[in-house]
Amino acid sequence: MSICTGCSLLCDDIEVELEEEGIGTTKNLCRKGQGHYESLGVERLAPSVDGAEVSLDEAISKAAEILSEAEKPLLFGWGNSTLEAQIVGIELAKKLGAVIDDTSSFCQGYLMEKILKGEYPTCMLDDVRNLADVLVYWGSDPSSSHPRHMSRFSYFPRGDEKRQRGYEEDRNAIVVDVRVSPTVEIAKSGFFKVLPGGDSEFIDALMTALSGKIPKVKDKKKMLGLGTTLKKAEYGVIFPGLGLIYSLKDEIDRLDPLVAKLNEVSEYKVIPMVGHYNMRGFNQTLLEETGHINRVSFKDGVEHGPQFAITEFLEKCDAVVVVGSDPASSLPAAVAKKLAKVPTIVIDPHHNMTTELAKVTIPSAISGLEAGGSALRMDGLKVEFEPVVESGYLSDAEILARIKEAV
Amino acid sequence: MARTKEVTIVTYRDIFQDQEKAKDRYTQEYQDLSALIVLDQSDMKLIGAEDGDLVLVENEWGSVVVKAKLSEEEDSHSGIAFMPNSPWSNQIVSGDTGGSGIPDFKKVVAKVSSSEGDVITLRDLAEQMKV
Repeated sequence: MSICTGCSLLCDDIEVELEEEGIGTTKNLCRKGQGHYESLGVERLAPSVDGAEVSLDEAISKAAEILSEAEKPLLFGWGNSTLEAQIVGIELAKKLGAVIDDTSSFCQGYLMEKILKGEYPTCMLDDVRNLADVLVYWGSDPSSSHPRHMSRFSYFPRGDEKRQRGYEEDRNAIVVDVRVSPTVEIAKSGFFKVLPGGDSEFIDALMTALSGKIPKVKDKKKMLGLGTTLKKAEYGVIFPGLGLIYSLKDEIDRLDPLVAKLNEVSEYKVIPMVGHYNMRGFNQTLLEETGHINRVSFKDGVEHGPQFAITEFLEKCDAVVVVGSDPASSLPAAVAKKLAKVPTIVIDPHHNMTTELAKVTIPSAISGLEAGGSALRMDGLKVEFEPVVESGYLSDAEILARIKEAV
Repeated sequence: MARTKEVTIVTYRDIFQDQEKAKDRYTQEYQDLSALIVLDQSDMKLIGAEDGDLVLVENEWGSVVVKAKLSEEEDSHSGIAFMPNSPWSNQIVSGDTGGSGIPDFKKVVAKVSSSEGDVITLRDLAEQMKV
């Protein structure tokens, strides 16, 4: 059995038949995982400087040279790196006095910090499968983002002792979303539609309903019904997604009293729907090292704040290292175009928009497929994996170690 | 003059698009699954577009030509549109996070109108960023 590093579920039941050219038949992969495995032979990156192909050693030397000369370097990415690479990355940031940030900075950061600091109750995905009777997918759409979430853990499977009767009787799925997503199609009766940015009002109405008062919403009966369902839960789990986070934005802390209230009326856990396979790993590793999960500067000891978020610090930095990430694609173009204005070094298995803007590109092995290591699943379970196929590519941990040695 | 409609765009993730993204983001399929906007029927009618027509989506942050897709939702959502999260949708997401570090990916106000233009490729989008 192999591990799939296509998302933060880190599915551990992947069957792979190897052929001479590489991977042949596979079993149990979802669409996303299939795409991940098929990427082995597609658009692989070559070492380059200023668009011209060079040797790997030259690319690494050039990267080290740029970083040695930089006064305000930014090291970004990390969600698609092993724990081992993340540790070297943080050491490199320290040695350079650099700013280090990851994708959680503009997605699940707030919630992940709450989880890792023990400020929100959480549980393992296996507890969800075995115990959970009320599931709240809030601004999340696991059918699209984590295709096996509902089938392996949260909705469809039977538990070991409890939840034996099947999902129709044993589980109640609630979906709060602005659109009729594929997850809504599965759990239609539990769908609550909000307007863009309307999650804050939804929290107000739900808090009122949970207190036994009449909420100020159009469909009072439905909201009161939700309050009753949530109160009756034996073991509830909330799966917040980007829809909730981007809707609440600066008011994300409005979730705190709701989580507390739900734990007054019953038992509720929170598992953020982390995207990249090891974002949680980076957040935990950096937290242990600095007391912060992201947005850290090592320039003068350890500093932390929104000024060190990639969206803000890109404006001020004079060199960027991007590891296993494609910020040119995932950030607003108005922010991402700054990547073309500073020397950018990309360590990645594949060509992407960021590599096209980069001064230096360094190809790496695909972790989980061509390199082994370990990672933290979205619920914190540590998963170790071996490479599925052999390749001539260095792992990102090895590349980062060489750069660290050379600066 | 082309009729325009102001909409609030919410970006979303699509598994078919994500599969292509994981495999190879330079394919026509990835572009087709990414460069689109899901519009309510009444909004489509207002701008004189039909399912599959090209439309221009623009605001103060940028503009992008994408394919209009007729919404399959039963209830009308006039004034609200959906775009898969992608480099195409990111052309019109605000670069100003108000210091929070979190862009407004899911509340993008923009005008939509019929377009005679073409959908820009991923490589050309990257070229555009170098200017």
